[in-house]
Amino acid sequence: MRITRRDTAALAFAALMAGPMRGHAATPGLMVRSDGQPQSLDPHQVFDVPMMGYSLNAYDGLYRYQDNPAVLRPWLAESHTASADGLDWEFKLRAGVKFHDGTALTADDVVYSFRRVLALGKAPASAFLPILKPDSITAPDAQTVRFKLERAYGPFLAAIPIVAIVNAKLVQANVKDGDHGAAWLSSNEAGSGAYAFVAGSLTPAERLDLQRFAGHFMGWADNPSPVERVAMRTARETSTGVLGLMNGSIDWTDSYLPTDQVEQIQSSRAARVEKHSSLRTFIIRMNNARAPFNNANYRRAMAHAFNYDGFITEILKGYADRNTGPMPNPLWGAPKDAAGYSYDLDKARAFVKAAQAEGVNTRQPIRIHIQSQLEQTNQAAQLFQSDLQSIGINLRIVADTWANIVTATAKPETSPDMWIHWVSTYFVDPENWVGQMYDSRFHGTWKASSFYKNPEVDALLGRARDLVRQEERAPLYEQATRKIMEDCADIWVYNTVELRGVSNRLSNYRFCPAGGGAELRWLQLKG
Amino acid sequence: MAGFVLRRMLLVLPSLFGLLVVTFLLIRTIPADPAVALAGDNATPAQIAAIRESYGLDQPLPVQFLRYLRGVARLDFGESQYSGRPVALDIAQRLPATLELTFAALVIAIGLGIPLGVVAAMHHNRWPDFLLRIGSVAGIAVAAFWLAIMLQMLFAMKLGWLPLRGQLSAGLTPPAGPTGFLLTDCLLAGRFDLFLDAARHLVLPAVTLSLGGLATITRFTRAGVLDTLQKDFVTYERAVGFPRGRLIWVYVLRNSVVATVTQIGLLFGGLMAGAVVVESIYDWPGIGSYTVQAILTADSKVMLAVTLLIGLIYAAVNILTDVVHALIDPRLRESR
Repeated sequence: MRITRRDTAALAFAALMAGPMRGHAATPGLMVRSDGQPQSLDPHQVFDVPMMGYSLNAYDGLYRYQDNPAVLRPWLAESHTASADGLDWEFKLRAGVKFHDGTALTADDVVYSFRRVLALGKAPASAFLPILKPDSITAPDAQTVRFKLERAYGPFLAAIPIVAIVNAKLVQANVKDGDHGAAWLSSNEAGSGAYAFVAGSLTPAERLDLQRFAGHFMGWADNPSPVERVAMRTARETSTGVLGLMNGSIDWTDSYLPTDQVEQIQSSRAARVEKHSSLRTFIIRMNNARAPFNNANYRRAMAHAFNYDGFITEILKGYADRNTGPMPNPLWGAPKDAAGYSYDLDKARAFVKAAQAEGVNTRQPIRIHIQSQLEQTNQAAQLFQSDLQSIGINLRIVADTWANIVTATAKPETSPDMWIHWVSTYFVDPENWVGQMYDSRFHGTWKASSFYKNPEVDALLGRARDLVRQEERAPLYEQATRKIMEDCADIWVYNTVELRGVSNRLSNYRFCPAGGGAELRWLQLKG
Repeated sequence: MAGFVLRRMLLVLPSLFGLLVVTFLLIRTIPADPAVALAGDNATPAQIAAIRESYGLDQPLPVQFLRYLRGVARLDFGESQYSGRPVALDIAQRLPATLELTFAALVIAIGLGIPLGVVAAMHHNRWPDFLLRIGSVAGIAVAAFWLAIMLQMLFAMKLGWLPLRGQLSAGLTPPAGPTGFLLTDCLLAGRFDLFLDAARHLVLPAVTLSLGGLATITRFTRAGVLDTLQKDFVTYERAVGFPRGRLIWVYVLRNSVVATVTQIGLLFGGLMAGAVVVESIYDWPGIGSYTVQAILTADSKVMLAVTLLIGLIYAAVNILTDVVHALIDPRLRESR
């Protein structure tokens, strides 16, 4: 038989189209995530939401947050003790923990990990640099680690899960030019977590594979059908991720789904939306150091001019909880009796008049910077703009990027009049919110970009930071928060309900606000 | 010919240097501080200042530029502030994916655009011509992101014929090298299953990317053929009964495609730029999506390296276009 060029072309076309005619055949044991990956694989160089999505699986810490509300549970440590003055801490490690290469995890690895965090001095070090010196972290024996703090630091235990414990011998073997193994660990892994990085599978920001670690110290007896392999693939467009979820080629989206996509997924038989109240607040910042925002009445006018219910009900379709203060409602230290500000344009006009009487020029145009790739910040700004116009305030919207805004927030002169962002859970402690946002010692960081300064609040927050017991710290945070709210330092809008699209192949999803439910060892997979 | 090519290559060097200077200065006008990105969330001003010093970002601009130039001369583009990995390594890993996508789009655009242009010219002012003219205007006007979503909805969601996103199905492991071009590596490794999977993933992004180029090539070919058909030699060949098919597809076409070839050279740059959008929608792991990430995170080393690379590719394609011109039209070769 003679095969013509036309036959060859027809055969090639048929072969190309010979995939599954409907949907996408799932690979047994494989779960595909589309929620991105951290910028570097080194957990001591980066600490943000994508990193937690990776490090909670590839690494272990001394303690770990679990469930919702978040509870701090012993993890690599079996227990800990602290001296009454909060300066001396001792952690007892579990026996028999192995790294992925089979090396035993000992106290030396813990000491090396904390010292490495301090030496690199990047984001995870922020909580520890002011209170820890490298030499004050010691290992008297293979199962014991001691920390001697420079001064008492209330959030110390809460911040402990930030530090992932790395295999000291493996990292030290890959040190180059005194870089603490930073170049090597950016593309490799040295952990003991429930899932191990598959060597050679990394294309940064695109693809990364994890394989279940059968030798994990927690064992797998509680999970009869765990996920065997995890393919982390980045979906840049939310719509692509959602379509993938619906045709079965993706099992897990990010947890910031727009509400229109939620309804689309809910109409699908292949997937569902996991909805969980989180600790992630949505805030409109005001630059308190610059006119007209250096006037409290002007700020109060702004706070009464934002349509909170309209935004939550109409734009977010109710998938958010109104949060009237700077701390997430469910967190300890948040005053439960503080009413906050409501949407009331008459009150807003009255405060504008009061500000004018104090010499404020309320006619000057003000600017709000939005993060252009995050549509919700734009929606909030547009809603705000229309209401402010009705009380005679001219708001201009400036599209910007996170990198630009964060750079600008280093100084009050360059920081925007207003900008919009979320504060995620880096550690579950009021210090993560009011402590770092409103204590003037943090001015120059993006979290403290309202440049709010009140010596009374600084003193309260400082005292709360120096105490160890939650019962003693909570009233101080409550008192500080009431003052911050009275001064109306910012506009506090809502606490997030995290919305993640999950394939119906997956069950036993366990959500925790720290990490946004990204710990995979609990998941059970059908097929 | 060799002298001509060498002269063109030498002329490219000052252009690339100029490109590097302009890009370096432009990037420094962006308010974002690379040290802030490097330090990460929650970093204190003291941490940021320490990082700025350790990376030499506190040095005067000319010092920073000279240091960067020395690196470029050794093909060392520094480390990405985003991934912490050498930029050259990241680019080497991603460039083949973009080139594969761009070449596939170009093949579709040329393979369909030239014949369609000839067909339109042969049916001048009749319905095939009208149809192709309307189609080519639509092809130039339609937004790539809209077309991509429509193709995804039809071929991946409704019909289930083609994959939605990515370069390879998630459960499959790509072969490790040697070229970095996935399709080529699959064939070299004898993995026809992987080759087929990768080819299926390539179809929708390549078709989306090709559409603007396809429309342009169709229009230029049509115009060129119409012009050539008026020439005396065509009238003569027709009069002596020269076979019509051979006359059109060989002689007329050869005399008509000089302008089209120029357009193809320019299109290559356009396709590389268009890949930024297409790669983002289809999650294609090329330098387009890498560049978007770099812009959002103010990753200046990546922005510089990618700009230089695209400039280099653009210059190479233009030299190649001149060579093809000279091969098609011997008069051009002689005049040079």
